[in-house]
Amino acid sequence: MNPRMVLACALALPGIAYAADHGPVFSYATPVNSQRELSFDTGIFGRYGSRGTQFSTGSGFGYGLTPHITINAFLPATFSSGSLPESRIVPGSEWSAGASWRFLHSVTSVGKRIESTASLGLVVPGPQQDSGVLASLHRAPGIAGSLATGLASRSQYLWAGGGYTRFAGAANDRRPDTLSWSGVYGYRPAKLRRGYEQWDYRGFAELTGERTGNVRTSGLVIPNSSTTTVWLGPSVLAIFKNVAISGGVQAPIFRDASESLYGREQVRFAINFSYLKYSAHTSSH
Amino acid sequence: MKRTLIAAALALTLSPLAAHAEYEQVNLIVFGMDCAPCAHAIHVSMKGIQGVNTVDVDLNTGLVTIKLNPGNSAAMRQFNEAVEKNGFTHKEADIVAKGKLTGTASAPFLEVAGTQDRYALTPAAASADITSLLGKTVTIAGVLPQAPKGKVSDTLRYKTIAEAR
Repeated sequence: MNPRMVLACALALPGIAYAADHGPVFSYATPVNSQRELSFDTGIFGRYGSRGTQFSTGSGFGYGLTPHITINAFLPATFSSGSLPESRIVPGSEWSAGASWRFLHSVTSVGKRIESTASLGLVVPGPQQDSGVLASLHRAPGIAGSLATGLASRSQYLWAGGGYTRFAGAANDRRPDTLSWSGVYGYRPAKLRRGYEQWDYRGFAELTGERTGNVRTSGLVIPNSSTTTVWLGPSVLAIFKNVAISGGVQAPIFRDASESLYGREQVRFAINFSYLKYSAHTSSH
Repeated sequence: MKRTLIAAALALTLSPLAAHAEYEQVNLIVFGMDCAPCAHAIHVSMKGIQGVNTVDVDLNTGLVTIKLNPGNSAAMRQFNEAVEKNGFTHKEADIVAKGKLTGTASAPFLEVAGTQDRYALTPAAASADITSLLGKTVTIAGVLPQAPKGKVSDTLRYKTIAEAR
């Protein structure tokens, strides 16, 4: 990778749906780090289908430059033997780096916020090769952008978001562009609206969808290689002070994908662990 | 000459204790905290301010209770900044502070020495006669109205005022 690319990775603004610490595991959400907050996420993500499985693990790092701008990087590793469609909701083998900007932040009452966050990032191929239809492609970097908006409160959460990833071509090959979207509803029962020195739990219902374009290899489009899928499932987030554990599972409720290319993807799951290091730094007067 | 020097040394040693102006307690309302990490972040930030003794955060009311050590020099701006850097909004604050009463009986000010905090005082209820307290160090309890981001209210609505012990 040339130095310009490294610089671009470091400075670019990610659009991956990979959301952790304060939010759902599959869906786009708005929270960003506090100023000077360092967050570390690591997780296991799985996809299972009739033509094989994909397991990935990854580590993400985030740092709050300001109360509303966070830079982040995500470095996954995959263990895949299946032929599954491109996905930006579940991490694959691409490394990404970028920034998220919470450009709307309206605090309406105790515990309630309405906010919107935009993310832009650079996605670059990791050292590992994909499997299935995507295995033989020459890979190139891509740009990913996303937008999420919604509400957070002591009792309920509601977020909607969408993202788009476009890859550059390499040697007449090109990974499919991906349009992703999500809607998530979260609820914290009254009994669990407790003090911050106790475990904080909330549950989510996550609806996600992806439309992937055609795969192009050697200048030719592979027929029927585009896909559209919609997924639904629950997830749970548990936080104690600065440590969070979340997990979720999703099943398809709509699937338009070539079975001869991709088989039937049947389930996705994610388990994530987060550590949040808040800054005690304050200015002197 | 020797006596004068001893007296001067004693005065220099004791005067900061006798007349130290400082915040004793700040009860700050914070909007926007929905979850435990939000409260933890506020706790960590407030504890990072020199002079802060204890911090308690109530997520359901948004109340952040900060108790300070005697002799501290923490400024109100630092508490507001601790809220802002975590992405939340500070509302009004109930404070108990010691400071020097200056100005006039009709336009009094409270100066919290060592912090550059200076408030125009207005009574929260019926105005008491504070003429006898002018120029003295007082203990005052009152409310600082919400200030815009990056600012501190320049007015303190006081509820009680008495000469500091």
